[in-house]
Amino acid sequence: MTDIVRNTQAASTATTASTATTAANTVAAIVPSPFSVVLRWMSRRWQHFILAPLVLLWLSPMIWIVLTSLKTKVEVFDPDAGILPAVLNFANYPATLAVAPFGMYLVNSILVTGSILIAQLVTITLAAYAFARLEFPLKRFLFTLFLLQVMFPIYAIFLTNFVTLRELGLINTLPAMIVPFVASGYGTFMLRQAFRQVPSELSDAARLDGCGHLAILWHVYLPLVQPTLVAFGIISVVTHWNDYMWPLLVTNSDSVRTLPIGLGLLAKSDSGADWTRLMAGTTLVVSPLLLVFVIFQRRFIDSFMHTGVK
Amino acid sequence: MSHRFATVWRKEVFLAYALLLPSLIFLAAFTYWPILRSFWFSLHDVALGDPRIFWLGAENYLRLLDDGLFWKVLGNTAFYTLTTIPLSIIVALLLAVAMDSKLRGMAIYRSAFFYPVMIPSVAAGMVWVFLYAPGYGPINEALNFLGLPRLDWLYDSKWALPAIILMSIWKYSGYFMLILLAALKLVPSDLYEAARLDGVGPVSRLLHITVPLISPTLYFVIVIGLLHSYQIFDYVYVMTQGGPADSTNVLTFYIYQNGFQYQDIGYASTIANTLLIFVLGLIGLVALTLGRRVHYMGER
Amino acid sequence: MATVTLQNICKSYDKRDVVHDVSLTIEDREFMVLVGPSGCGKSTTLRMVAGLEDITAGQLVIDGVDVTHAAPQKRDIAMVFQSYALYPHMTAYRNMAFGLMKTTKLSKAEIDSRIHEAAEILNINDLLDRRPKELSGGERQRVAIGRALVRQPKVFLFDEPLSNLDAKLRNRMRGELKRLHRELGLTVIYVTHDQIEAMTLGTRVAMMSKGRLQQVGAPMDIYMHPANTFVATFIGSPEMGLIPCKANGTGMLSHTAFQAGIDMGQAGLPDDLILGVRAEEVSLTQGIGMARGRVERTELIGAEALLEVAVGDERITVRGAVAGAPEPGTEVGLDFDLSRVRLFHGKTGHAIDLQVDLQD
Repeated sequence: MTDIVRNTQAASTATTASTATTAANTVAAIVPSPFSVVLRWMSRRWQHFILAPLVLLWLSPMIWIVLTSLKTKVEVFDPDAGILPAVLNFANYPATLAVAPFGMYLVNSILVTGSILIAQLVTITLAAYAFARLEFPLKRFLFTLFLLQVMFPIYAIFLTNFVTLRELGLINTLPAMIVPFVASGYGTFMLRQAFRQVPSELSDAARLDGCGHLAILWHVYLPLVQPTLVAFGIISVVTHWNDYMWPLLVTNSDSVRTLPIGLGLLAKSDSGADWTRLMAGTTLVVSPLLLVFVIFQRRFIDSFMHTGVK
Repeated sequence: MSHRFATVWRKEVFLAYALLLPSLIFLAAFTYWPILRSFWFSLHDVALGDPRIFWLGAENYLRLLDDGLFWKVLGNTAFYTLTTIPLSIIVALLLAVAMDSKLRGMAIYRSAFFYPVMIPSVAAGMVWVFLYAPGYGPINEALNFLGLPRLDWLYDSKWALPAIILMSIWKYSGYFMLILLAALKLVPSDLYEAARLDGVGPVSRLLHITVPLISPTLYFVIVIGLLHSYQIFDYVYVMTQGGPADSTNVLTFYIYQNGFQYQDIGYASTIANTLLIFVLGLIGLVALTLGRRVHYMGER
Repeated sequence: MATVTLQNICKSYDKRDVVHDVSLTIEDREFMVLVGPSGCGKSTTLRMVAGLEDITAGQLVIDGVDVTHAAPQKRDIAMVFQSYALYPHMTAYRNMAFGLMKTTKLSKAEIDSRIHEAAEILNINDLLDRRPKELSGGERQRVAIGRALVRQPKVFLFDEPLSNLDAKLRNRMRGELKRLHRELGLTVIYVTHDQIEAMTLGTRVAMMSKGRLQQVGAPMDIYMHPANTFVATFIGSPEMGLIPCKANGTGMLSHTAFQAGIDMGQAGLPDDLILGVRAEEVSLTQGIGMARGRVERTELIGAEALLEVAVGDERITVRGAVAGAPEPGTEVGLDFDLSRVRLFHGKTGHAIDLQVDLQD
């Protein structure tokens, strides 16, 4: 439905552009000059001229990471070396893998992110169903409690949580990185909205088909809100895969560290600023998620895009 | 209410609480209990790893009032929040408006602007340390190329915080752009047509039609922006450690310093409480000023 | 199959009565239609029979068993919903099998044979592998009916099942439902707001309004002898014309446009009365007629013409021939079919059982 505006808009700018050029082209009036064709094309697609340079700007840090990871140490500090590496130097990658156990970090990252996701899916599904379809005292109050949690992420309350986990003896364990995130007010809210969209006649039908609440939840609601579950899953995985502060505070040995912590450690140990090795490490840490992102672009974009509309 | 109806109802209530229980346990243990406990800590002298605890009353709060560094940190935090969010949103809105079209290549642009969200904050921070490096960093090379003076960026107390703000805009405006783009697609096109017929220019159209119509989403983006502004801890930790001269020290980092470096849990909790109040205050402010004026396109 | 008895059934939400004291017996193999305007409580009543709503007061008996408080799946009923309520993520086959798997201990083979049997009856054999969104409205409707059929319940409940279909398809499905009822000997409770559906489908019709049962009876009985003005105007198209009259002491029914004599045998006749006249009970006359009226509007609907005629301040509809239908504005004489018209109480609207003798 927005096409009409856009087309008329494009058409009108195109005509003004062409009338401007006709004066210059009266001699070659019959054959449109290549110049006017280019100009018309430009005026219709003006967005490209603004967006393309910006995109380059946005991509440049990532490009810089990869380029640097392929340079030699000397090149980085040589002002005359140019932007591109003289020779592709892949030696930084094995060098990085030799100094830090990235394989172990990767396993830990997968374990932590996966456990958080599974635990969250369970808790938010149950809670969202209660908020969407059941009546009980204190419902509004409890829902507000869930929503307020969104405002108090671990960054705001990490100190006392650290003390609590220390008392529980969980510091420097994988569970320490998981338990604070098991409940998700945001996920509960998202899923509750999705559940409320399910027509109530479907749950009526399921009741007549012999389903109790839990069976209705399992057989009817969950299959129908799959897109929301996927969207939440993606957001959760991105958040916790990249999480830095909390794992930093509660881990102090390689056996439980995650990828971001490993990378931070590498930076610290390379106090001489061995940028080539560090950027090789960064490429390694960044690439799993970016790769998944590139492959499932649509899904990722849709998930984040619609966090605001619903 | 018949007896039988009462039992049905009681069953449903029981089920509801059973379903909420897993969430509530974790919510209580790791969100609400810490808040209460933090308040209790703030009234005491508590050292990290020391089971002894001494009553101080309001002493920590009085100390806070006298702590010049705290006020500086609070100012830095406010400055970061109040510049990063509006700037990112303006950039995001302009990007979204430019991208609200069906031209080819928009999907690529979208991903290109969005990908920084996928990058771990620690990696982003490190790269930007490199980019900002005074001697050999490409940003200074670029400034030099344009005939502008080189800057010390993260080593200059005037420029360190703006440098982090710039990086934050790079990291988050793509996300905000995406959310705003979704909202723009819902604005009915006949409104633009009507405005064009009335001779309203493109800038006016943006300010008087687009912005009011997507204001609920803008409001939402502001809240998301507030939440993401917490992440400055990661950047400060990786990039500057609060320096130079505490010019990039912010509340979360100051809590960390007091709690973990000086092991003073009581005082750190006091600062944490002010952070909570700061956040609640900002959210309240946003809700009262913008939330009320938000123009809703029907009930959602 | 079985009888269903509703005894003084009530439903209230927060002390607001939605269904009030409904008593109704649905006989074995009967097609009972609950009809009424939206918000009259007919759907709530049906949902109480289904067990989807709690019964606030009263008793519900199905096949001699008190199921007032039984869970839906224990009542041996099946329901077809207005939106069909097919599970969107399951094929037609799975939609039909799901309830059987949950409520019975039938083997896979038995379930399969039941589904194919039902599919045969409904002519949906080819659609079993499709999901609801790959089906047309009419096909979804059949699958929804199939889902009810395979359960082989004692009672079938239908909640406005045809209202989402277009007019032509609705007509066809009406015939189909009638055939199913006849051939399979089903006991049916059917809710609709459409009086034509009620008239054509029901072996009996229960008319509801404002949470109360207004009248129960065979369609033609209700049509001919409505219990009150509400039923009178709701059932039948075109609507019955109502003419308020005064009864004076001398046994005459008087109206500005005419006068009529009443049999005075009835004691306690109120002063205010309403005369109810159906379109086919009045005829135009060339002469003066019993009453005079003025044609307001003429609708030619093909085989006949419907004339809206003003009698004093009231308007009634009269059936007439298409040829020579009078133009609007024409003064006409009207003759009432005295053996068929009826009287209602002017205040309460209840029907009054007496013969009317109209005179010039």
